[in-house]
Amino acid sequence: MSRWELGPILRAMTRNKVGAILIALQIAVTMTIIVNAAYIIVERHTMMQRDSGLDEQNSFYLTTTGFGADFEPKRVITEDLDLIRRTPGVVDAIQINAIPISGGGWSMSLTTETGDDADDVNTANYMTDEHGSNALDFNIIAGSDFVASDVRWRERNQTDWPDKALVTKALAESLFPESPWQESVGKTVYIAEDEPVIITGIIDKLQAPWIGWSNLEHAMITPEYLVSESTRYFIRTEPGQRDRLMAELESTLADKYPNRIIRDVTTLTDTRERSYRQHSAMITILTTVMFLLTLVTAVGIVGLTSFNVNRRKKQIGTRRALGATQGAIIRYFMLENLLISAGGLLLGVVLTIALNMALIEWFSITALDWFYIPIGVVVLWVVGQLAVLGPALRASRVPPAIATRTV
Amino acid sequence: MLIMTNLEKTFRTDLVETHALRDFNLEVKEGDFVSVTGPSGSGKTTFLNIAGLLESYTGGTYMLDDYNVATLNDKQRSRLRNEKIGFIFQSFNLIPDLNLFDNVDVPLRYRGLGSAERKKRITESLEKVGLGNRMKHLPSQLSGGQQQRVAIARALAGEPRFLLADEPTGNLDSQMAKSVMTLLKEINLQGTTIIMVTHDPELAMQTSRNVFVKDGKICDAADVHTMPLASNQ
Repeated sequence: MSRWELGPILRAMTRNKVGAILIALQIAVTMTIIVNAAYIIVERHTMMQRDSGLDEQNSFYLTTTGFGADFEPKRVITEDLDLIRRTPGVVDAIQINAIPISGGGWSMSLTTETGDDADDVNTANYMTDEHGSNALDFNIIAGSDFVASDVRWRERNQTDWPDKALVTKALAESLFPESPWQESVGKTVYIAEDEPVIITGIIDKLQAPWIGWSNLEHAMITPEYLVSESTRYFIRTEPGQRDRLMAELESTLADKYPNRIIRDVTTLTDTRERSYRQHSAMITILTTVMFLLTLVTAVGIVGLTSFNVNRRKKQIGTRRALGATQGAIIRYFMLENLLISAGGLLLGVVLTIALNMALIEWFSITALDWFYIPIGVVVLWVVGQLAVLGPALRASRVPPAIATRTV
Repeated sequence: MLIMTNLEKTFRTDLVETHALRDFNLEVKEGDFVSVTGPSGSGKTTFLNIAGLLESYTGGTYMLDDYNVATLNDKQRSRLRNEKIGFIFQSFNLIPDLNLFDNVDVPLRYRGLGSAERKKRITESLEKVGLGNRMKHLPSQLSGGQQQRVAIARALAGEPRFLLADEPTGNLDSQMAKSVMTLLKEINLQGTTIIMVTHDPELAMQTSRNVFVKDGKICDAADVHTMPLASNQ
């Protein structure tokens, strides 16, 4: 261990500390920012990977708006759905009031008891028919699916609700936390404080329209068609047929009823991309900041070490004359950087925790997982050692004969 | 102990070829105190660099304690420098950020000696040069003469067989030069072989043997009293 010169390096650093302190501070700030940024990136990335429950690769939707005095919504919707479902390549199609993860939809409060002082649970509400499970690709994991006779027409301004509903497993668990979710089948929940709805089935997964919502996994499906001139169809296709059918169905529907406008023909993959665009941009920005900060720190270390190598050329030559091998010279500079980094990283750990606490306070993010800190320490330590390697190798090539030069 | 036979050192650039040493023959025996004199540019420092394994040579042979220097790699040369050779430089070459203790400690750490052994050697060598009570001082807090004494202590701590001194009194006034020279003679009397490059004929006269170098060759290895006076440029 005597070869490691730890003590002399530390003592020498205390007599020449400005550069070392600046680099240590830079390392501390870099660590603080990149660890918190990495945590936010992973959190956002995990959020973006959440499963909506839909067959996103093979689904799209479109909006059709009819006009004219003789436009009959019920007839057109029924015939449209029949036409779409019979089109080769279509797995299934439904009319739906809102699209999962799209950013716009319906929500409501459910209670398990009547009365205005009962605790409520918020949920998204989708209205569709008995084809919902096939089109939206969910499974009934308890109870039973809708049948055609369950489905009713909801007129404009109609405020009452069907007497049955499907709910997601997550919603069932929130509504009845005291009992297993399977036992929610047959139980009654209340809309608008006193309108009863019986849960007839539990579905495995279907996300709400709002990706930033804390109740994203809460969804309720009621068996209804909406009577409206403007309606939205959700279409699930066989693999590889989506893009063809988007164009084909837009044209077929327009030909069938020319007195309407078809718009917003959109894939679910585009919808996901649009909904998560802010998160995606955040990841790009934070990754760039992390990269630049690490680069600036590495350049700072290269600069300081190169300066030290140039300033100490004669000293390096003298050390070589006194018996230092090339390896010993490399080790000296690596160890010196290690000590500077250690100081910076120690301060960085404190600042990282402090910044995370501030972010929790200001933006309500969750607390940093502990393992990000040692990973950050190791990454910056490795970056520091790699940055110092070039100048250290240059130092090791300083010829020992320089020791005898007087100028 | 140190035998150079037909040693040559040529510096080459694209345009010029400079013979720093040619047909250089020298044998130094154990216990010798050899001074090397000669005009500026005569090859004295090149000789010292090669003798101290700081620089390679381009021809001839150099045997140091039965080692054929040409066959050694960089690591072996470093080890040989560390274990057998002590250096004293004209401008002392102390490390300014280290105190005297740590300065003397530098070569001992490269040898891998234990802490207790190093401390003993450092204390003894600094006391030997009269600076035992200044171990925590920085070089900048000492006079030139004292700094050169620290450099001598650093060389002595490694208990070298050779001491190579490059103008050891070149940056000192006459009084300090005298005391450093006295110290070197004491060291030589204790058995250490010393090779000293100097411009100063007064100093050369105090050594047991003088080698006069001119144009990269030894011109005269005669008794110091019959040698030509070195140029003092």
